[in-house]
Amino acid sequence: MSKKYDVIVIGAGNGGLTAATKMALSGKKTLLVERHNLPGGYATSFVRGRFEFEASLHELCGIGPITGVGALKDTFQELGMYDRVEWVEVKEAFRTITLNDENNYDYALPTGKEAFIEKAEEYYPGAREHIEKLIDLAVQINNGISFLNNIKSFNADTVKTVFDEHLNFLNIASYSVNQVFDALGTPQPVRDIFAAYWCYLGVDLDELNFIHYATMFHSYIVDGAVIPKGRSHTISCALLDRFEELGGEAWFNSDVKKIIVKDKIAKGIVLDDGTEVLADYVIANASPYNVLTKMIDGAEIPKFQTQDNNAKQLAVKGYAVFLGLNKSYEELGLNNHSYFIYDCADTKKVSELSKTNKKCALQATVCLNKAIPDCSPEGTSILYMTSIFQGDEAWKDITPENYVKEKRRYANIMIDDFEKATGAKIRDAIEEIEIAAPVTYAHYNDAPNGTIYGFQAAGSNSIVHRLMTMAMGDKIKNLGFCGGYTQQCIGFSPSYQTGMMAANNAIKYLEKEEASK
Amino acid sequence: MKNKLIPIKSQGADFLNTVKMIPERLKDVKNASDKPAMNPEKFNVNMVSAALHPKKQTLKIKKIDVISPDVKSYYFTWVGSQPLAYFRAGQYLTFQLEIDGSIVTRAYSIASSPASALKGEYQITVKRVNDGFVSGYILDNWKLGDIVTSFAPEGTFVYESIRDAKTVMALAGGSGITPFLSMARAIDDGTECFNLTLLYGARNKDEILFKDELDAIAQRNPNFSVVYVLSDVKSKPKGCEKGFISAELIKKYAPVNEKYSIFVCGPEAMYNFLHKEIPTLGLEDKYVRFELFGVSKSTLKLDGIKPGTYKMTVINRGEETETTCNGEETILNALERAAVKVPVRCRSGECGFCRSKLVSGTIFLPETVADKRREADARFGYIHPCCTYPTSDIVIKIN
Ligand SMILES: Cc1cc2nc3c(=O)[nH]c(=O)nc-3n(C[C@H](O)[C@H](O)[C@H](O)COP(=O)(O)OP(=O)(O)OC[C@H]3O[C@@H](n4cnc5c(N)ncnc54)[C@H](O)[C@@H]3O)c2cc1C
Ligand code: FES
Repeated sequence: MSKKYDVIVIGAGNGGLTAATKMALSGKKTLLVERHNLPGGYATSFVRGRFEFEASLHELCGIGPITGVGALKDTFQELGMYDRVEWVEVKEAFRTITLNDENNYDYALPTGKEAFIEKAEEYYPGAREHIEKLIDLAVQINNGISFLNNIKSFNADTVKTVFDEHLNFLNIASYSVNQVFDALGTPQPVRDIFAAYWCYLGVDLDELNFIHYATMFHSYIVDGAVIPKGRSHTISCALLDRFEELGGEAWFNSDVKKIIVKDKIAKGIVLDDGTEVLADYVIANASPYNVLTKMIDGAEIPKFQTQDNNAKQLAVKGYAVFLGLNKSYEELGLNNHSYFIYDCADTKKVSELSKTNKKCALQATVCLNKAIPDCSPEGTSILYMTSIFQGDEAWKDITPENYVKEKRRYANIMIDDFEKATGAKIRDAIEEIEIAAPVTYAHYNDAPNGTIYGFQAAGSNSIVHRLMTMAMGDKIKNLGFCGGYTQQCIGFSPSYQTGMMAANNAIKYLEKEEASK
Repeated sequence: MKNKLIPIKSQGADFLNTVKMIPERLKDVKNASDKPAMNPEKFNVNMVSAALHPKKQTLKIKKIDVISPDVKSYYFTWVGSQPLAYFRAGQYLTFQLEIDGSIVTRAYSIASSPASALKGEYQITVKRVNDGFVSGYILDNWKLGDIVTSFAPEGTFVYESIRDAKTVMALAGGSGITPFLSMARAIDDGTECFNLTLLYGARNKDEILFKDELDAIAQRNPNFSVVYVLSDVKSKPKGCEKGFISAELIKKYAPVNEKYSIFVCGPEAMYNFLHKEIPTLGLEDKYVRFELFGVSKSTLKLDGIKPGTYKMTVINRGEETETTCNGEETILNALERAAVKVPVRCRSGECGFCRSKLVSGTIFLPETVADKRREADARFGYIHPCCTYPTSDIVIKIN
């Protein structure tokens, strides 16, 4: 038995790094433990030949280069590491393409509200009015959320403000993107353009909560998106750097096997070599699925918490192809930063298709050099393609023996689709290739079933359900969670923010304890 | 400012639907099972991951082929409940050994076919390195029945059809034959599907390893052929070439009017020679791949080396220990000598497993080793100790 800490944070992913840094900033004796040999979780990079590949980030919202406002920017500034990263603005929003519809679409849009609307109007005269309405709703939602976040107490004035300014936000909370589109009479081309980012949340538009989508859209398009220089690994390193500077202790290559829970109170952790470490509070960035199924004895978990966990579904599995190309993006005709290539415009059908890996239902592909021209040596470029799989069918029959062939087969489909959709010929330029399949995510992040999106943000587990019920029910005490599985759902920006929330809860608890002594 | 109301269903229903979200969620929770969900280790995806990437493998030596006192093949099988991890032809195993109080690691390419791993067998072939520390120890000490430890197979020196040409010209020297033997066997048993033309350099016929088997595969499999290139012979032996593997020889055996890849594995002298020869062929860089070979002694002649003994403070899970390091040995060597367990695989600066933070002190990274660190790692003071030399007292955080 060694030292005792105020708090132990399990996992140095986006949520864990943020939580740990915030704890250290508040003067708490903090231990951050990570099973891998480097920080970041999914927010990492790897080197092959003369290329350094981004492992996961497509573009980061919450830093807001256009409007200059962003919740994540505030967070990083509060933590004191914002300036340790060089942020590069992404000026193009996306190019979205369908491949197998009777009438395929192909739209390329810039970031910035006015520029976006103007371009949409070019594609579909009349789009302006519809998109303005949708963005106006997104603004109202953002205002509503920040109003609720800052509310101190309810009185006649606050109730009046709610009824005057935030009623649309409250009224719309239960509806899906398609329900809102239907009610507003949004024409199909405007839906295709406005909802192009839907695959980032892995839920089709019949299921995806409008608030969830609209806030994300707003922060990408209206506030603006960025990419960190040196890949997302730079953010991870900068957070860790700040954490250690604040006196925090970080252990790597340290796999937490058990969380010690006695009388439904978390007391510490046990590492795989048997090392026991105690703390007054534990924050898990490790997935709650893993925590509640293999890190804590079932008998120590309150019934509500087990049931709550069981009333969630693991979200989509991830798959990615990383290509180092021996020609520049200009030579190859890679004219866009971010490509969405969907089988068809019907998102429900795309979701259905993505239950197997026979075809590629969708891909989100990034040419990093379009944002950071010198991210690879002169005359070369980096392209990474991501796809997702719903349900349990795809990759179910994978074996160690057929694994490489299967992942290569799917990579070939994605490369062919990309060439067909964009007209760019990339195959002969492939100098380096790495393929990440669900097995890879299971390996690097201990992801249950290879999911990259935590719990599915649908049904009664939408982001709004999560936020409304997060404080309810009987749960293990002194054990907090952060990361993409928790209340804010997946995504870089939200997972950093959940780290702040978990840390704030822990600080509140520890200070109350301190005061009562 | 008052916002214009936007009803979705109707004003009353909308608000009610929002209010209903809480009971909706609580109902689903109440109806869910109160038994813990399936252990994630039981998902097929997670089981395959565990099978491919065991943390360690405990291996038993089941056969030793003595090719000469300086070259032996070791055949392993698994002990315990964990079968051998599958791999790709061309990958290597890193072995961890304890020798005289040091904890050391060395990489050896797997010479057997991936298919044989499924049947419970790995083969490696170890060649003595003259002033080496571990190869001699293995050759002189490992016996039948011994239990040894390796990590999971690693390495990117593999054939990848999306990237490589259909034909690979494999250039081998010395023990560098091992990854190509694995590839030839994999082509022969159908695991791999590409054309492999092996140019195998040796001093004389006696130095050629696995000649009978290579010849037999070449006989029966049209996708594999082998040419021996002998340097220490008076006249050109039948069916062989005389001299060194050169651009001219490669051209002679390479396909005409068709793209081909070159894979190289062999001793440093061969690499130095080929680094001058291969560019004259005018291939795109993507078609030329060199296997790693560790950090070489010739590094010691470089200007950046600062001989001397320095103090080394090692931070491991918050504990500090003090030991020494030497300007003429890599930091990893010093750590292993001090019996510090460091995650290690390639020992060549590439894989990143040994990534550690240089808390203070100065270092030398030879230009002969490509700096394969991530951009941010270099910026935030991380090093790969396996290819880095100390030039002052240092403090290093390994975990
Ligand atoms: C991916 C990979 C695959 C390999 N596959 C095989 C294989 O199939 N078969 C095989 O026989 N070998 C293989 N090797 C080489 C093997 O791992 C060992 O390097 C080899 O056996 C020598 O180990 P050693 O301990 O005897 O020599 P070492 O003690 O490591 O010495 C090796 C050489 O480096 C010099 N040297 C010693 N210390 C230093 C120093 N501080 N700095 C610089 N140079 C120094 C030595 O003088 C000597 O010339 C492979 C290596 C790699 C990286
Ligand atoms: S062991 Fe591979 S980089 Fe050091």
